[in-house]
Amino acid sequence: MLRSSERWSSFSEVRQTLSQSFEKLQNRILSDAKLKAGELVREAEAKAKQTEEAAKAEAKKEAEAFLAKARLDAEALRRRILSSKVRANRLRLLEEKNRIVQSILSGVEERLSVISDIPGFMDMVKKMVNEAVEAVGADQAVVRVGFNQASSKGLDSLSKDLPRGAKLVVEEGALDQLGGVVASGASNRVTYNNSFRARMDRLDTQLLTVISSIVFGE
Amino acid sequence: MSGIDAVKRIVETEAQARNIVEEAKDMSQDILTRASKDAEIAKQEVLAKARKEREDLLSRARMEAEAEAAKSDTDTDQLLATYQKAFQNRKDAAVERALELVLRG
Repeated sequence: MLRSSERWSSFSEVRQTLSQSFEKLQNRILSDAKLKAGELVREAEAKAKQTEEAAKAEAKKEAEAFLAKARLDAEALRRRILSSKVRANRLRLLEEKNRIVQSILSGVEERLSVISDIPGFMDMVKKMVNEAVEAVGADQAVVRVGFNQASSKGLDSLSKDLPRGAKLVVEEGALDQLGGVVASGASNRVTYNNSFRARMDRLDTQLLTVISSIVFGE
Repeated sequence: MSGIDAVKRIVETEAQARNIVEEAKDMSQDILTRASKDAEIAKQEVLAKARKEREDLLSRARMEAEAEAAKSDTDTDQLLATYQKAFQNRKDAAVERALELVLRG
C-alpha cells in the first residue's frame, strides 16, 4: 500500500506524462497544419512561376509573329513607295523620249513639206510614181501627184513616162498633207498610197529605231 | 488539467491549425492572382515593345524608301538632262537619217 506522499508523486508523474503527450499532440497538429500550409504556398508559387513562364512564352511567340508580319509590312511599304516613284520616273523618261522623237518627226515633216526645193526632186517623184503604178499593176491607172510649192508644169511632165492608158492628175498643193503620189486602178478597187505620210506610217517602227539609235544610242 | 480542459485545448489547437491552413490558402490565392497580373503585365510589356519595334521598322522602311525615291528622282533628272543634250546635239543628224529613210521608201 502506497503512502499518501508516494501516491501523490506517482499521480504527479502520470499527470506530467499526460501533459507531455498532450503537448506533443498539439505540436503535431500545428506542425501538420504548417506543413500543409507550406505545401500549399509552394504549390502556388510553382503554379505562379509556371503561369508567368507560359505567359512570357506566349507573349514572345505572339511578338515574334507580330514582328514577322511587321517586317513584311515594312518591305511592302518600301516597295510601294519605291515602285510608285520608279513608275513615275519611268513615265517621265518615256514622255521625254516620245517628245524628242515627235519633235524629230516634226522636223522630218517640215523638211518633206518643202521637198520640192531639193535637187533631184523630179527624179524622186518619177520613182515614186513608178512604184505606185507597179504596185497597182493596172493598165489604166489613175496617178494623182501633189507636193507643196511644186510647179504643176514640172509635175505635168511626168505623164510622158506613164504606161499607156494611165492618167496623171496633178493636185493643187500637197497630197495627204505632206505630198506624194497615189495610184489607183481604173475601178478604184486597188489603190497604192505612196505619199510621204503613208510612207512614214509604213516605216513607223524603222523610223523609231533609227531615231532612238542616233539620239539615245539604243 | 481536466479532461474538459484537454478537449478545449485540442479544439483550440485544431482551430489554430485550420487558421494556418486557411491563411496559407489565402496566401496561395494571392500568389496566383499576383502571378496572373504580373504575367499579363509582362505580356503587355513584350507586346508594347513589339508594337514599338513595328513602328520603328515601318518608319525606317519609309525613310529608306524615300531616300531611294529621292535618288531615283535625281537619277531621272540627270537622265532627262542627258536626253536633252543628246537631242540638241543629234537632232539634225536624226532628222537627216529619218528623211533619207522616208525618201528611200
